[in-house]
Amino acid sequence: MIFLSPAFVLVALSFLFANGSGRVALAIWDHDLSPLSRQFTSDLGSDADFSVIHVSSYEEIDDLLVDQRIDAAVVIPTGFGDAVRDAGDAPVQVILDGVDTLSAGQATGSLMGHASAFGVKLSSQLSVPSPPIVISSRRAYLSNGDRRNSMIPGLIPLVFSLPAMAAALALTRERETKTLESLVVTPVRSLEYLGGKLIAYVTTAVLGLVPVWIVATLVFGVPFRGNPLLLIASTAAFLLANMGMAIFIGNLVKSQQTATVIALFVFFVPGFFLAGVIDPIDTTSLVSTGMAHILPTTHFVTICRALFVKGATISETWPSILSLLGISAAWLGLGALTFKKRVT
Amino acid sequence: MKDTLHRIWSMVVKEFLQLSRDKVLMVFVLAAPLLELMLMGTMSGDGVQNLPLAVLDNDRSRASRELISMADQSDELLLKTYVSNIEEAEALMQRGKIAAIVVIPPGYGENIVDLQRSAEVQIIVDDSNYVVASVAETSLETVAGNIMHDLTAHVTTISGGPVNLNFVARFNAALDDRPHSITAMLGMIVYQVTLVIAAQSFTRERERGTLEQLRITPMGRMEMIVGKAIPTLVIGLLNCLLMIGVIAVWFEVPMRGSLPLLLTLTIPFVLAQIGWGTLISLVSRTQQQAILFVFALAMLEVACSGFIVSLSDMPVVMQVVASVSSVQHYLVILRGIMLRGAGLGSLWVPSLALSGIAAAATTVAWLRLRVGLDTDSLQRRLRAMWNAYQERQRRQKTTSRRPPRGPGRVPRLVPQPVRSRVEPTPRRRRRHY
Repeated sequence: MIFLSPAFVLVALSFLFANGSGRVALAIWDHDLSPLSRQFTSDLGSDADFSVIHVSSYEEIDDLLVDQRIDAAVVIPTGFGDAVRDAGDAPVQVILDGVDTLSAGQATGSLMGHASAFGVKLSSQLSVPSPPIVISSRRAYLSNGDRRNSMIPGLIPLVFSLPAMAAALALTRERETKTLESLVVTPVRSLEYLGGKLIAYVTTAVLGLVPVWIVATLVFGVPFRGNPLLLIASTAAFLLANMGMAIFIGNLVKSQQTATVIALFVFFVPGFFLAGVIDPIDTTSLVSTGMAHILPTTHFVTICRALFVKGATISETWPSILSLLGISAAWLGLGALTFKKRVT
Repeated sequence: MKDTLHRIWSMVVKEFLQLSRDKVLMVFVLAAPLLELMLMGTMSGDGVQNLPLAVLDNDRSRASRELISMADQSDELLLKTYVSNIEEAEALMQRGKIAAIVVIPPGYGENIVDLQRSAEVQIIVDDSNYVVASVAETSLETVAGNIMHDLTAHVTTISGGPVNLNFVARFNAALDDRPHSITAMLGMIVYQVTLVIAAQSFTRERERGTLEQLRITPMGRMEMIVGKAIPTLVIGLLNCLLMIGVIAVWFEVPMRGSLPLLLTLTIPFVLAQIGWGTLISLVSRTQQQAILFVFALAMLEVACSGFIVSLSDMPVVMQVVASVSSVQHYLVILRGIMLRGAGLGSLWVPSLALSGIAAAATTVAWLRLRVGLDTDSLQRRLRAMWNAYQERQRRQKTTSRRPPRGPGRVPRLVPQPVRSRVEPTPRRRRRHY
């Protein structure tokens, strides 16, 4: 389970990301119904970025928004066609569903891109001036719309928190089933006992990197451009940091149930929200930046992305690797200290 | 009927008694969710902000400086540095110092006021995180749109393109990301707390050998499940109510719909977790196994919840998988009621789905409780017989030096049938059930 579960979870999570961006569900209310407005809307309909429903009232738009069946609504006022031809500046109202800001941003971007493409097209047909600025975008590392490959390296740290959880429980388990006491009376010292446990769990989990790597590169075709040794070393450091944290938790509580609840709070939710897996780290406030840098996941996410996608070398990733090592040393030390007290 | 209620009641009392013994767990179940919600809500609520930007300005005109300063003033972008060539910028990106590079071509300032020509600005984005990449692109597009809008106001001969889009955001005029992310956190926290408690309910009993004790009581299977479910349900609802209060008061997330409806629909959500948890706890032999199951399941459910990737962006296969994810349905309901003010009329699909998931999971757990116990007790009986046999052998070895107690006593080599199905538990542990 410790060996294979990260790879399994990675497969499942990776399937989430379809390549190419999703469609924006759009409602169109065309007041104008002129040839130009029809051209505008039919262009929207044939664009692969949008799926279009036609409506004819604000109530309908509102109902669709409340039912979450559309992401945005486009309202074309009367006189649109004339305004395009004469003034070259026709106002169009767009009502966004503001709840999910990310998809609202996506809708905004797609619509703006569409509007400026429409402008370029018209300026060649009619004597309408061309739009002053055209933004062209280039992706630095992967081909356009390759979302899955950009997310998989970020997910690797998340799937490796599974073995760390198992380690957290291994300790409380020994305590709960009272085998710890029988271990204490053996000549094994507490540090030796911890070391043994750590080595067992870390080696198994690092071996689990092999199936994970196979899944990422061979199954999904994520490029691996960095140094494999660097990846192995930083995985080990990440696991040690997590297990140090796990040992610390295991020392504080008595029952496995409690250890689980705490581990979920410590590993799971912050890993998803704070470590920059999806949204980048919030750098606006000092607290959240600091918090993110205490989490080992943050640094490992940076390293994984750099090694897989960017092909970074050690001279470019050393700050993250050093912080990861520092964090793991700190947590392991804390775990070992509290452990000693408990046994004697 | 009265007996049933009485039995369920005593089960509920027993569960609460057990829960209240573990003080640390109680703190973590009741206070930690609130703390975590407040902490995370404060820290990660503002969406993507201040992406560091490098600018390669080949034009150095007033217009190009205006573009740069407007990009810098936007919420999403932050001017980090000017570079003098593209290699320098790419090296910075490689080290993770910047998220995007804006390249302004020579002649930008002249081209934007030229009616015949467009000025082409290039943005190179770091797509090792596609969220960063798309936010950077979109916000530069917005900046360009605003500049064009200003230009049309000042210079009447040019226009911002023939179509001028005016955006209005419904439900969230300021396009604040917090209501969206904090509702996701609420759903996830309720989810994990209830799932963990439920997942360990039966495994704990089994690991301590008390499941058989429960079995020999007159309590039925369904009564057992209901008795276990009620405390979890109470904790889940209490958590949910407290957290809704926190996000409404502390984070000023609007509550546009009806609170009773939301709480009513929370019940099937929690029940689904109880069903899943009970199932996990009946399948796994040790608590450690149960936790790994919980963790793997939780990852999948959260992944499918539509928070990481919105549902419409998923491949069709995953959309099907996501339709059995209770978190996903609950988030639709939660956001629908709180943020959009939706009623049951627009939420009947996720509500039905949630109830279906809850019913299915509970039914499977109910079936499994019968099968599991019977096969399990058979295994246990065999093991108990074998243990008793070995114990007797050992005792015989140690006692063989003593003289036999009486004449004609036949040494019992045949294992005696076990009197009760309950494995003897050490005295000191019996206090903990």
